[in-house]
Amino acid sequence: MNTRFNSQSSGINMTPMIDVVFQMIIFFVCTAQLEREQFSEWITLPGAPHAPEMAQEKDPRTITIEVDENGRVSIGRTPLSISKLRKVLIKTVADYGVYGPTIPIQIRADTMAQHASVRKVMEVCTASGLYQIALIAVKDSVE
Amino acid sequence: MRRKNRRPLTPPAGDIDVSMTPMIDVVFQLLIYFLVTFSAADVLAFLDISRPAPDIEQSMPPADMIRIAVLKQGFAMNGRPVSDEELEGLIRQLALVSTKQTVLVNCEEQSLHGRLIQVLDLCASHKLTQISVMSSP
Repeated sequence: MNTRFNSQSSGINMTPMIDVVFQMIIFFVCTAQLEREQFSEWITLPGAPHAPEMAQEKDPRTITIEVDENGRVSIGRTPLSISKLRKVLIKTVADYGVYGPTIPIQIRADTMAQHASVRKVMEVCTASGLYQIALIAVKDSVE
Repeated sequence: MRRKNRRPLTPPAGDIDVSMTPMIDVVFQLLIYFLVTFSAADVLAFLDISRPAPDIEQSMPPADMIRIAVLKQGFAMNGRPVSDEELEGLIRQLALVSTKQTVLVNCEEQSLHGRLIQVLDLCASHKLTQISVMSSP
């Protein structure tokens, strides 16, 4: 009897599975790359080998503010003036209502940036009611 | 009625012949591409700080706090200029007394951000966690 379940003649077709697996690999590689590209690559973070390591799962509300060595401020590669940053933060705090003041702020400032520019960013944060400020540094560099 | 030219549902066992060569070619190409474009990400650290509220920023800090000043050139502790090694020694001694002490880091505007991180890292290495960062012109 020759049925399709005959063990002699049936073989599992691997082609669709390989297709799907490749699609998934490419999807994950591309999304991982996108996550890394949301920060500027021109910022050299200072080294802090003894500081606590950043948690893998951070608060999804976290706002990361970048300050480059010339004191330019940006969020997610979008350059902002200090007044614009103030507006953005005040609006974000207002949008979150009572949970607004608990939004964590991370500052990625270049090691050669002057403290004056970092200070401006911190002052805008505190003036907007955000006090959970953390400075980001490199704990362990691969190179 | 018999159908003509009916193809069998499954080919005979001997006819299955999947050529692996193109797949291996593609996999190797992908492997080489990812190896070349791979760049390992740095392990990041965070340094929590607290900022004084804007209205009390100008008030004088309590005298018993550890006050570290980050100057444009070098550091100062409780008003006395110290070298990097001295600062580390002093922080180590103070951390032995208590790690619950508040450290007030006063940073000059002209100083570099990397030097502030250096002080914060020193405090973190000696388990001092109550750190307040102030700025002075």
